[in-house]
Amino acid sequence: MNGDFLALLPKTNFAQLGVAASCPEPIQATTVFAFHCKDGIIIAGDHRATAGNIIFSDKTEKILELDSHSLIAIAGVPATAFEMARTLQTTFEFYRRSQLQPMSLKAKIRALSRLLRDNLPATLQGFGVVQPIFAGVEVGDANGKPAIFFYDPLGAQFEAATYAGSGSGSGSIKSVLHYLERWGQPPPAEMPLDEAVTLAVRLLMTAAEFDAATGGVHPDRRLFATIKLLSRDGIRSIPMEEQERCWREATHD
Amino acid sequence: MTEEPYRWLEAIGNRREYIRDQLKGGTPVFALSRPEGILLVGVGQGASKVFEIYDRHGFAALGHPVDIEKIRQAAIEAAHMEGFNRSARDVTLRRLIGFALSTTLKNAFEQIYSPPIIVESIFAEVGDAPEEDVIVRVHFDGNHRYESNGIVVAHTDSKQEEEAAGWLRQQIKQNDSLSRAGSLCLAAWRHLIDGKPFAELQPPSDAVNKVNGKIVEAALLDRKLPGPVHYRPVDLAKFNN
Repeated sequence: MNGDFLALLPKTNFAQLGVAASCPEPIQATTVFAFHCKDGIIIAGDHRATAGNIIFSDKTEKILELDSHSLIAIAGVPATAFEMARTLQTTFEFYRRSQLQPMSLKAKIRALSRLLRDNLPATLQGFGVVQPIFAGVEVGDANGKPAIFFYDPLGAQFEAATYAGSGSGSGSIKSVLHYLERWGQPPPAEMPLDEAVTLAVRLLMTAAEFDAATGGVHPDRRLFATIKLLSRDGIRSIPMEEQERCWREATHD
Repeated sequence: MTEEPYRWLEAIGNRREYIRDQLKGGTPVFALSRPEGILLVGVGQGASKVFEIYDRHGFAALGHPVDIEKIRQAAIEAAHMEGFNRSARDVTLRRLIGFALSTTLKNAFEQIYSPPIIVESIFAEVGDAPEEDVIVRVHFDGNHRYESNGIVVAHTDSKQEEEAAGWLRQQIKQNDSLSRAGSLCLAAWRHLIDGKPFAELQPPSDAVNKVNGKIVEAALLDRKLPGPVHYRPVDLAKFNN
């Protein structure tokens, strides 16, 4: 009789959400992240896709352009995540063309949230967990700034003030980004593009150091990441040559 | 009444006449296949004549605004469903017109107890090179014609339409700029509105990029635009080339 009502519940037949279900650990074997820099938002990811301890592919694109001003970084079960990205691509373009105006940023964020919520049964059963990062700009607002949003697997969305990460390797990346935001000189949000690109490559190499499911980024073997810059002007992919140049200049290689 | 064949024919004839009469207030639209892409030109109230359909597809039309909207939505829906179920490369004008739009138009035209669709239109699909461009002239009854010479005009009067297209073919040279091509379209537009014969029309010496009291609607299905979307609205007055 310690007065803890919640402790009483399991002793009765009262049905509790989530407790009785045997839910395997979410599969999020990847690393994707986004952070603000001086020129906009850097959004990046490695190329590895895994199935358990098997490396399924080292050439997977996880940063997907949804339209001219929004991106998704996918972490989770590829089958569901890629389908969500494809659905959103068509949803945004269909709206823009049929309604003769771009979909608002809020509506885009909600659209992804809705897809995640619709995926609830697969999420609860453990085989369809998706935990994406979304980055976008309000196209209709001339002063709109790029924004980063991250989601929980059930569809709740949160705006990230400075950075967001998802996937099994994101823990170490988020620690580094937190440290740099707090004590970095300059913090990532004030970094020029070249510096931000090098940081993105280094972050992925750091994640790969501690997470077997993150990989495929080896500047010494000329293997780089997918890095994109989102700004008011739209999306720009940072090509391998540019990543290599930034990397060499930063390391004086 | 219409169960008798000749009555049905009469009803269809009346319907055709009625639609042509309704179309008389419409103003022409143009599609030109150019080295840069396909230029679509119309004159209206802004977002009323020239539209984007899909990644490589555009649409220009004249007629009743509600019916233009109906056809536009039908085309967009069919294109996006196909692009989603298969891929963007599977969305082709030939399939869009042949299997989705022309049958809809023909059925609507022949359902004599339902309101007709009052639209004359041009659909365009940009290819990797001008030879691969597809431009289709689609009529209100579903009848359509694939144009291979790269210059298409849609107007209410078929004779004037042909005359205007012939004049543009004579006037537009291979290396003309988009600005020049647009000027010639607007000169032809004015001439069609005035209902004058094209034999006496001299090409404008200065750039024509405005129509008083109206909005020039122009778009380019830009061949060189990076990314999947090739359609971009253009301002003929701001073309420098």
